[in-house]
Amino acid sequence: MAETLETMPVHEDVGQAVTVRRQVATHPVADPAAGADDVHVWPHLVYREFLCALAVVGLLLLLALLFNAPLEDRANPSATPNPAKAAWYFLGLQELLVYFDPWFAGVVLPSLILIGLMMLPYLDLNRGDGPGQVEEPRRLAVPFFSAGLALWFGLILIGQYFRGLSWAWYWPWENWNIPKVTESFTWSFPVWLGLPVVLLYGAAGAWLPARISPRFLRRLGWTRYLIVSVFLTIAAAIPIKILLRLLLNVKYVLKTPWFNL
Amino acid sequence: MVAATPVEGTQDRRPMSVGQRLSRRFFAILGLGGLAGVVAAWSAGLVRFLFPRILYEPPMNFVAGDPDAYRSGEVETRWQKDHRVWVVREGEELYALIAQCTHLGCTPTWFADEQLFKCPCHGSNFTRAGDPVAGPAPSPLYRASVQRGMDGQLQVNKAISENRPGPRDAAPFVLRLKSGQRGERSA
Amino acid sequence: MMENEEPPKERVVKPQEALEGIEAGKGFQERLIHKVTSSELWRSVIRHGSPALRRNRALTVISNFFLHLHPLSIPRRALAFAHTWCMGGITFLLFLVLTVSGVLLMFYYVPEVGRAYEDMKDLQFAVSFGMLMRNLHRWSAHAMVVAVILHMMRVFYSGAYKPPRQFNWVIGVSLLVLTLLLSFTGYLLPWDQLSLWAITVGANMAGATPLVGYQGPFHELLGARVDNDVRFLLLGGTLVGQNALLRFYVLHCIVLPLVAVLGMAIHFWRVRKDGGISKPL
Repeated sequence: MAETLETMPVHEDVGQAVTVRRQVATHPVADPAAGADDVHVWPHLVYREFLCALAVVGLLLLLALLFNAPLEDRANPSATPNPAKAAWYFLGLQELLVYFDPWFAGVVLPSLILIGLMMLPYLDLNRGDGPGQVEEPRRLAVPFFSAGLALWFGLILIGQYFRGLSWAWYWPWENWNIPKVTESFTWSFPVWLGLPVVLLYGAAGAWLPARISPRFLRRLGWTRYLIVSVFLTIAAAIPIKILLRLLLNVKYVLKTPWFNL
Repeated sequence: MVAATPVEGTQDRRPMSVGQRLSRRFFAILGLGGLAGVVAAWSAGLVRFLFPRILYEPPMNFVAGDPDAYRSGEVETRWQKDHRVWVVREGEELYALIAQCTHLGCTPTWFADEQLFKCPCHGSNFTRAGDPVAGPAPSPLYRASVQRGMDGQLQVNKAISENRPGPRDAAPFVLRLKSGQRGERSA
Repeated sequence: MMENEEPPKERVVKPQEALEGIEAGKGFQERLIHKVTSSELWRSVIRHGSPALRRNRALTVISNFFLHLHPLSIPRRALAFAHTWCMGGITFLLFLVLTVSGVLLMFYYVPEVGRAYEDMKDLQFAVSFGMLMRNLHRWSAHAMVVAVILHMMRVFYSGAYKPPRQFNWVIGVSLLVLTLLLSFTGYLLPWDQLSLWAITVGANMAGATPLVGYQGPFHELLGARVDNDVRFLLLGGTLVGQNALLRFYVLHCIVLPLVAVLGMAIHFWRVRKDGGISKPL
């Protein structure tokens, strides 16, 4: 019983570590008061995490008790259910497949989205002094990201609630069991029109952002500017193509023997 | 053997001795190169490993009854369930469409009142000839090879297929049911 | 409502004093607790005293394997729920729930085309609590996709990807991809119509990859055919059959979770190394 907490050797070592860590935690030199407002993780954060975990698990159990996971008929390669829908998080892509060929909507575009997301921190030079700080209002980053999210979730909603039998458009008040007579026969731009349109669009996409804000180009430098403008141009092309299809029944803007856009 | 790495600027012009050639650097490059080669070979082997050489998949060909029994102007869907093929007869011509959408491979459904194959996945529509008229499908439906066997039965082989207008409208993708053909064959 | 914080300058309780305080209590309970907590066995497991002491609170976090992910202290404002929505943590929790329920489901599931669907039916109707376990797995999977997207949104809008955290954002995007891949591979396993056609369409999209997919642009250049292209590699065949089911099962249950665990370990570690939880703007 004579041995106290003080004499337990392991504590001495760890105790020193505490001092060091403590210094690291309060390290930001610019703000001497930074450490003063800190609280211990145990118990303040840990009990919040525990409560949060309890709430989530409880909610999951409730969901699992109330709603059964779907199980349809046994897989049958010769009969496709109508309509056949992907999982909700892929419905945006499935809806895009109406407007673009699979190599673009299914492979190139998702890859570009992911590559663009990964490059985001290296392209966004709006940085302040400290971590997470910004120099000026995020006038491009926030609207662009938000528009992308809105498009993504908008397409998911359309795919989930507005696409019925044979992937035809059904309004919520229409009966999905009645097949729709499809009359949307489509057409494509001829090459002599499509090629200049695509090239001009690309050139405009590279030129316009610098025209609107020369400072934008100056800050990013040419390499970053070109990468950003390519992403912006391709992203803007998606709603444009959707509108062309919905309003003018255009199937392809550019038709070549190798690929179509 | 003394490791003799020549120092820049101090090299003399005499040809290097064997010991100098077999320097540390040489062996380092040899070792790293060999390691890279082994890793590359293993990676290539791993990729090849993942491509199976034997497949246990359903056969591509089947016998589809008496070709003369199909009625003109109708799309026969009874082979769809087991073989994913529709047999179509137009006048004296018979062809077999592979029931696989050229967009992303779903099985379209035949709607007789509209005279269209409609794909449930992304809404492509095809005519009875297999040409796409609506939706995202980029090309016509494929036609399987159709031949009259020795026993007079229709033989469909999906391993041989064609969808370009022109080639798809000739043998072996179209079977002509001219009167007397059966007689010629059996003679 | 938050518990009232102690003032920053609290009375420093010397460990010796605290110990004497416990000794002073002559009650049976106190003596028993003291006996247990000062035994060699106890102290070999829990290396510090009661977390009532300020220093022991620090030791609780530092010397506990499960808690050492955390720093010792965090800014008071970072405690607010609205600061992170707890979405990163919830994603991790859902991954744990999915691991446990998934391992349990594996006891009753054979990835064979003749049996897989029957096993699903058994899970629903014959296995005790089988349906509950399957529901839990399914809804946790959906919830994890939601949580990971919300987590990404939070990090974006709070600017938490800015230096020095650029690379951790990249790892985070990879983890988002892994989450989607886990969902995609798991989708095939019930072997029902939903499974088959979702994977058929998804695999055919892979078949449309430029150059290496047999239906993609420029596939002639490398000679991609239906039986040698990237879709064939994914499915292990020319159609969604037994090989595809087995491949997706192995990917879903072993390969992808292992990669995800590795990615998460790096992700969490870098949160600490890159300056801890981002301060509120």
